[in-house]
Amino acid sequence: MVSAAGTALAAPLVAAGCDIDPPARSGGSSPATPPPPEDAELVATVVAELVRAGAALEAATLSAPDLTPLLAPVAAAHAEHLELLAGAVADADVPTAEPRSIAGGRAKALAAVRRSERRLQRVVRDACVAAASGDLARALASVAASTAQHGAALAGTPTGTGVTT
Amino acid sequence: MSVLDALQSALAEEHATLWTYGVLGARTSQATSPELYATLTTAYRRHRSRRDQLRLMVRDAAGEPVAAAVAYELDGALVRAPQVQRAAAGLEAAGVEMLLALVARSSGEVREWALTEATWSAVWQVELGGSAQTWPGAAELG
Repeated sequence: MVSAAGTALAAPLVAAGCDIDPPARSGGSSPATPPPPEDAELVATVVAELVRAGAALEAATLSAPDLTPLLAPVAAAHAEHLELLAGAVADADVPTAEPRSIAGGRAKALAAVRRSERRLQRVVRDACVAAASGDLARALASVAASTAQHGAALAGTPTGTGVTT
Repeated sequence: MSVLDALQSALAEEHATLWTYGVLGARTSQATSPELYATLTTAYRRHRSRRDQLRLMVRDAAGEPVAAAVAYELDGALVRAPQVQRAAAGLEAAGVEMLLALVARSSGEVREWALTEATWSAVWQVELGGSAQTWPGAAELG
């Protein structure tokens, strides 16, 4: 099933018409030809990475429940990113990932999340640069920017007890 | 819109951003708001470098870089430190949107550069007190 948001991003991948044209300031002209099929593979890679990052967040909150208020906004953003991108590869299976337990409490859980987010950032960035579709590249750039913002917020969080925002 | 058009639009906005940062810095006391002053100074330097790079990219694309205006309009009162900080965060948010447009219209090294700068501005928006967003620079995707 393709969500409404997914349909918006799927358009440039499956048809010449494009429903996620950038705002007027960027010109807004649609791609004249359908993007090449390698973009679908690229999106599938990012989708798999978002699923993995989501599992890492879940593992961290299971390991250190007091991290939940800190990590919930990150998980919510990833869920929205996943919804949009997974809709663009509706024919492909969205992978699943089981959260792995993290031993060592809050500090190690938070460190694992930071590593995971940096890895996600790299994958999304590479996909953005490689995308054939400019509209897809723009969406991926926004995902990368969002991930960097959440990463910056996490970087300022002490690893000891107590959550600061 | 061509890559050159997108570069020129980005450069025109960068001129305005740099001018505005100059005003914000002038209205911030290094003595009473040292952290904000340092944050604004870092941003000013980054945007000055970004403007210079955009000029080079425009020339590489066989264009004549657009010139800066003599002055630009400021939105709202910018007297107190929180107002200055919010205005600076707004500049970075607008910068992300502008750079994402360049990402969409470019490829290769130009796109990679625009992505790097968009990511920096998104992070600096948080540094300036903004919240992390789900779709920075592309709110309509949400």
